[in-house]
Amino acid sequence: MTVSKIVEIPIVAEIPVGPQHPAIHEPIMLKIYVEGEEVVKVEINTGYNHRGIEKLCEKNSFYKDIFIVSRVCGICNTVHGDCYVRAVEQILDIDPPRRAKYLRTLAMELERIHSHMIINAIMAEIIGYDTLFMLIMRDREMVMKAKEILTGGRVLADYMMVGGVRRDIDEVKRDKILSILDKIEPRVKYYMKLFEEDVTIEKRLRGIGRIKPDEVLKFSLVGPTARGSSIKTDARVEDKYDAYDEVPFNVIVRDEGDSWARMMVRWEETIESINMSRYILNHLPKDGNPVPDERRLPRRFPPGESFTRAEAPRGELTYYIKSDGKPNPYRVKIRTPSFNNIINSGFVYLGHTLADVPVILTSFDPCISCMERVIVIDLKNQTKKIVPFKYISLGRV
Amino acid sequence: MAKPKLLKEVLKNLFSKPATIQYPREPTPVEPDFRGRHYADLRKCIGCSLCAIECPAKAITMTKIPPQYAEKVKKNPRKIYPVVNYLKCIFCYRCVTVCPTQAYTTTNEYKLASFGKITSEELSLKTLAE
Amino acid sequence: MSEERKEVEVPEELEFAKEYIEKSYLMKPNRIVIEIKPEKIREFLTQLSKTLEDRGKKFYLSTIAGTDLIDKNVIQLDYHLIILPPGQGIVVRTYLPRDNPRIDSILDLIPGAFSGECETYDLLGIVFEGNKYLKRGFFVPIDITEKNIFPLRKDSGV
Repeated sequence: MTVSKIVEIPIVAEIPVGPQHPAIHEPIMLKIYVEGEEVVKVEINTGYNHRGIEKLCEKNSFYKDIFIVSRVCGICNTVHGDCYVRAVEQILDIDPPRRAKYLRTLAMELERIHSHMIINAIMAEIIGYDTLFMLIMRDREMVMKAKEILTGGRVLADYMMVGGVRRDIDEVKRDKILSILDKIEPRVKYYMKLFEEDVTIEKRLRGIGRIKPDEVLKFSLVGPTARGSSIKTDARVEDKYDAYDEVPFNVIVRDEGDSWARMMVRWEETIESINMSRYILNHLPKDGNPVPDERRLPRRFPPGESFTRAEAPRGELTYYIKSDGKPNPYRVKIRTPSFNNIINSGFVYLGHTLADVPVILTSFDPCISCMERVIVIDLKNQTKKIVPFKYISLGRV
Repeated sequence: MAKPKLLKEVLKNLFSKPATIQYPREPTPVEPDFRGRHYADLRKCIGCSLCAIECPAKAITMTKIPPQYAEKVKKNPRKIYPVVNYLKCIFCYRCVTVCPTQAYTTTNEYKLASFGKITSEELSLKTLAE
Repeated sequence: MSEERKEVEVPEELEFAKEYIEKSYLMKPNRIVIEIKPEKIREFLTQLSKTLEDRGKKFYLSTIAGTDLIDKNVIQLDYHLIILPPGQGIVVRTYLPRDNPRIDSILDLIPGAFSGECETYDLLGIVFEGNKYLKRGFFVPIDITEKNIFPLRKDSGV
């Protein structure tokens, strides 16, 4: 018997970094194909956390949808509510008073501060730096207290309503929030200096997961991921919604393009947010009552459609609402920033070692419950198809 | 090997008071207008069912007022009152803001974990008892 | 009641495409909507990237949104694009027949459309030809994919 062909299969092991794993904090499955220690191919499997929000929004009225849409994500719930309410106000042609716009901006900036602090704490925990994780979380509690003083809830702030906000703020509360901001600022500056100079962080984060600028645009990556690779894009500057045309701030852009640059963009944005919140609290306008009377809001909605964008802590969030004259919306389409950042980014992991995979995934800021919201019933696991090696060698794959 | 920058902070924290609050032995500080347990005040309720219609979580059911209190509520022609199921409630306070007579009393009570079903029935009926 | 739409002139960056634009109007707040036939989408996008490169501008694909219009028996498909640096939003809109919605995929021109196309196939049933990664279990759980239902259609019964 003569041998006509010899097929050599190198040992490529498939490692599922599956939905429950101590390395990453989110229910997403990354199937990583590894040759030795180097990553060769990555497949991203989603679908573990469906809740069916887009279909559920078509069955409830416009006002109930404000509360349903806020529960898409726990960390960025004010931004979801604000984007939806602005889209509804565009259909109705209502313009809220300036004081309401300033208060909405204040809630969103406080949320940006605590969201950036938690993702940096998780990054510190993943590289093994537990002490830094605990210290950042202790200081984050002060920001949650400020949010509780302003909106009435620590995490879920049901603060947005068509035509304004749901609570007003007086002098006593304003002074309490200003004193909390004064306590937070030196701590954040200390952590920023730590990320620049510490030896452990530098060895684990620099040079990992480098993305070039034209790849960012082709793959539609948004948020601090894009701003860490020298693309200057920010929905607050481009659309100038709410009070962002009157509050001065800078857009932070870094040129290195690796994981370290993405985390530094987030720390510098935190400092900008603290300055913006202080400016807002010192310059609140006094024109009119920001709280609309919820019993007198319109019940009939004219037909129309609108498309609004907002800058969530993770990137650019878009809403598309279409109404056809009934009290329920006809279509609500939500596209969250994690949707683009996580699913389109399978190409970044190639060439790195296995221990860098959690670092890269965390530097994109995954928020999986934001990512999947399309049809309901109950949570079920997907079935995986595992092909043993003998099928490959027999040619049956 | 370089000295880690965090060393000074760690040594300072070794000798200071821990930051954890030993809950439930000590209470956690909560604002007075935190969104906590709420119930309907039956002296003001008129039984219009707007709160049950507008609840996003469908946590409010309208039940009949028991007959021994039936003469005390004159403003309520249908003799029904709202009962909030706290296990389904999301504490968004939509019922509080949409009520036409502002009949809901709000507190900042947040310790609501329980084994069985908890509702606002006894609290609402107690407002009629005096 | 029908919606009122303000007809607008096409901006100067899109002058090259005048031959296959059927209608153009405004969506709130100040986004320009262009309606094109489904076969011309790939040509439009290649010409758009070339024209913008000559002027030193860039663009990225923000969202792909599909809507089921059951009364008119079409499925409406929107591509939302954002042009940098000024941040102007443009919506490219096509209509596909409801019983056989097929359209060419733009995955080789813009790899960022991967997530949007996979989600729209899984939920509405639009087949993007040329995209080999389409599969039914991307988002929707198994008990619905077994019955071969597309959940976001209005007659799906979910």
